[in-house]
Amino acid sequence: MLNNSTNTPLIITGAAGWLGRALCSHVALNAERLDISQLIALVRDSEEQVLVQSSLPKDNKLDLRIITGDVTNTSDIDRLFASSPSAFDLVHTAGIIHPKKIAELFAVNETATKNVMQRALHSGARRVVHISSNSPFGNNPHTHDTFRADEPFNPYLAYGASKMGGEIAVQETVSQGLNAVIVRPPWFYGPFQPARQTTFFSMVKSGKFPVFGDGTQRRSMVFIDNLVDGVCRARAWEGEPGRGWWIADTQAYRVSEIVETVGRALTDEGHIVKKNRLRLPHLLGQVAETADGFIQRTGRYVQQLHVLGEMNKTIACDISSATVDLGYVPAVDLYEGMRRSIRWCAQQGIEL
Amino acid sequence: MNSVRQIWDDANESKMSCEVLIIGSGAGGSPTAALLAEAGFDVLVVEEGRWVEQGTVVPFSLDQMEQQYRGGGVTVALGLPSIAYTEGRCAGGGTEVNSGLYRRPPTEVVERWRDRWGVSDLDPDELMKTANEVETDIHVTHLPGPASVPSQLLRQGADALGWKHDESPRWMTYPDGNPRHGQRQSMTRTYLPRAAKAGARILTQCRVNTINISHAKATSADVSLANGQAGTISFKFVFVCGGAIQTPAILQRSGLRKNIGQTLAIHPTVKLSARFADAINVPDDVPVHQVKEFAPDLSFGGSASHAGLIALSLLDQWSDFKGAIEDWRNMAVYYAAITSEGRGRVMSVPGLVDPVVTYRLTARDRELLRSGLSRLSLLMLEAGATEVYPSFRGAPIIRGRKDLALAQKRFSVNKASVMTVHLCSTVPFGENRQLCGAGSYGLVHETKNVYVNDASLLPDAPGVNPQASVMAIAVRNARHFIAQENPHA
Amino acid sequence: MALAPSLHSLVHPTACTVLRHDLPGLPETVAHEVATFTVRRLSVLAAHMRLGIAVIALLVRLFASIAGQPRLLWLSKTHLPLLGEYFRLIRSLSYAYIWEKWPDTRSDGSPT
Repeated sequence: MLNNSTNTPLIITGAAGWLGRALCSHVALNAERLDISQLIALVRDSEEQVLVQSSLPKDNKLDLRIITGDVTNTSDIDRLFASSPSAFDLVHTAGIIHPKKIAELFAVNETATKNVMQRALHSGARRVVHISSNSPFGNNPHTHDTFRADEPFNPYLAYGASKMGGEIAVQETVSQGLNAVIVRPPWFYGPFQPARQTTFFSMVKSGKFPVFGDGTQRRSMVFIDNLVDGVCRARAWEGEPGRGWWIADTQAYRVSEIVETVGRALTDEGHIVKKNRLRLPHLLGQVAETADGFIQRTGRYVQQLHVLGEMNKTIACDISSATVDLGYVPAVDLYEGMRRSIRWCAQQGIEL
Repeated sequence: MNSVRQIWDDANESKMSCEVLIIGSGAGGSPTAALLAEAGFDVLVVEEGRWVEQGTVVPFSLDQMEQQYRGGGVTVALGLPSIAYTEGRCAGGGTEVNSGLYRRPPTEVVERWRDRWGVSDLDPDELMKTANEVETDIHVTHLPGPASVPSQLLRQGADALGWKHDESPRWMTYPDGNPRHGQRQSMTRTYLPRAAKAGARILTQCRVNTINISHAKATSADVSLANGQAGTISFKFVFVCGGAIQTPAILQRSGLRKNIGQTLAIHPTVKLSARFADAINVPDDVPVHQVKEFAPDLSFGGSASHAGLIALSLLDQWSDFKGAIEDWRNMAVYYAAITSEGRGRVMSVPGLVDPVVTYRLTARDRELLRSGLSRLSLLMLEAGATEVYPSFRGAPIIRGRKDLALAQKRFSVNKASVMTVHLCSTVPFGENRQLCGAGSYGLVHETKNVYVNDASLLPDAPGVNPQASVMAIAVRNARHFIAQENPHA
Repeated sequence: MALAPSLHSLVHPTACTVLRHDLPGLPETVAHEVATFTVRRLSVLAAHMRLGIAVIALLVRLFASIAGQPRLLWLSKTHLPLLGEYFRLIRSLSYAYIWEKWPDTRSDGSPT
């Protein structure tokens, strides 16, 4: 059941991030339909402010307020909520996945989430949507398994632990009266993507995307516009607080299928794509995971190692709860989503 | 032998003979005996264990284990970890002691057996018709009233999570309509009396040591009798139905080894006990509900839960868990069972009476057991458990969702009490000679008259309680044998 | 069964020591009864398991006679393959027997 009669201001934390910008863009374009009267974007600095502004349509008519501050700074959070209207919705996208130091993960994903939720509770938030991840739940036990809507925590390394901490903070605040729900996107892709995703396209194009074993491990994916749609539906859902949903494509894809589809999308967008030949033994994935874990225990973080260590895992989720509760149906499939992403890169002048 | 009594254990003849010797009286041997005797064959059933009347032992008790299980209930497949298993050793075999739950084999499983192992004429529809007949014979039915509280808690937890579950039917009668007063329709109540009525003789406490085979033809079996004397039973045909451990052991001792005992399949199981605010324990029965959301890979159900078994479930982390035992009336034991990709071996070693059994879990099995125990813990929390005690060394007490992360982090299969009650696949049947130890109707390859007709034949673990599969296939094979060797033809 | 008498002498004292430590409230006569039950059950195990248990039990007894009872208890808490399984088997059979026969036994072994 959806509730569209709110005409409420929307606060977005992490507004200059990948999802944050996509959300700002979508809200600006659909403010009337979404019944959003004002967009309040939390950014860290003037550089991020420019990023948010550039994500909005040129003829944007939505009232945009930009607040500069950091979610890890409690006085900044206080300032964000102090300057907010008495009734508002909040989408808490602020998070960090590839930090310089491990401590940043917990500072942003756990402690800051806890602080944001507490302030939101005491500032009269109407509805909070917290953006979590698959990482608090780890990997599926085997390639055919699919995560159901409700799964036991099994965090994958420090990032998973920090996002789990975030979810627990949300649930604790819900038990104190906050009207919050959780959206869990797995691997997402699409416009506003950071540089690391460009590398993904480049690797597929050059035939050097690392496929472990026979590539039958499965990954759930979601195009950013589908994810934004899911977030907006979660915001409008009238149901018991504390609920969480996977927002992804209906079926998980085999890694080999992902590489093939991206290759096809690149080809159809005019790129020359080499046949993918980089097959790696599973053992290498396990070695990378072990090394990643070891390095993380020393407080450091190596992005490439982390990504490699996760590539031989199955992370597949079942979106049926989102379909039943929110009416969420992914509108853009993998092939079309990848083509749009490639076009977006071209529009931005990003060379693949 | 007393010619009037057809069920006896005091054989004083060292030499006996029959047309068909059936070794073992469990879910495979008993229907085979009944059908063959009714078709006019001269049948002798030999059973290593005793005839124990139902009601004379407390179900799931140590006394029952002593009287009706092999090794007093302590039998182990060696490995890392070693896996405890149980084998019934009594007239009726495992049907006398198991939980009595009944599940037909899924159609896709039968199709897999047919296609991968080359089982001729194994038509799923035909097999289900046979299963239907068996269900009538052993009174497969649902409970006539509400399930026990531990069973309902399993259902409630699954409902809260939106996970599929159902009530497994049982082969029980309920004479007074009370679901707590079920009488199991085990082999000693159904097929064995039927076999005896049709003229079959049933000799208990008779252990078969070897089958004497010459030029691919078996002629006799060397046995040990209850009085300790050796004996010989000559026959025209022999059906080995000693279960997935004893059947390959007997065949190996008799010189038959090709594809025999090398592919043991089981459903490895891990457990937990869950503590509730109120008294929920039912000491003498098991839950009938099973959670099938993740089937066939993973299933959840309830186990026997008297105080002794609760203590056993707490043992691995006794220093932290021991306080719970004083509250056993508020507790019940539940299990997570997986369909394993690993395989084991049954090896008959010269000089040893019992076979050595080994089993190796794969990495996927280990992950699935971890995930299974964790998902089951979540289910118990959703069912209202105040505390969950997973059965592995180093386990935390789970009081909330956050603890599930710690439990998964600490879990290792090597620290867990892994066990199984479902054993099969040690003499897989089919025409694929690379994989199979017996033909499509159980005739051991390269023999002329040695048949296998029990759980050993199932090419792999069915992912559900295997008794229905065992019985339907045993009846199918027995009918084929009768058609081939009709004594009245 | 031929091994039963020797198994008794090898396992019974160890089982009693473990029970006295784990369950200090267990009356001495009960501890003896439980240990006797445990030995009886071990004596009907498969032959190769009995043999393995006899060997381990012998080594444990030798260790206890040299290193003393406290060290035996330390040994009973290790989780080495085979050795750990030996002590686990003793505890499994003993605990199952105690709480099946006397379900209201307290967690320290004392009767209610």
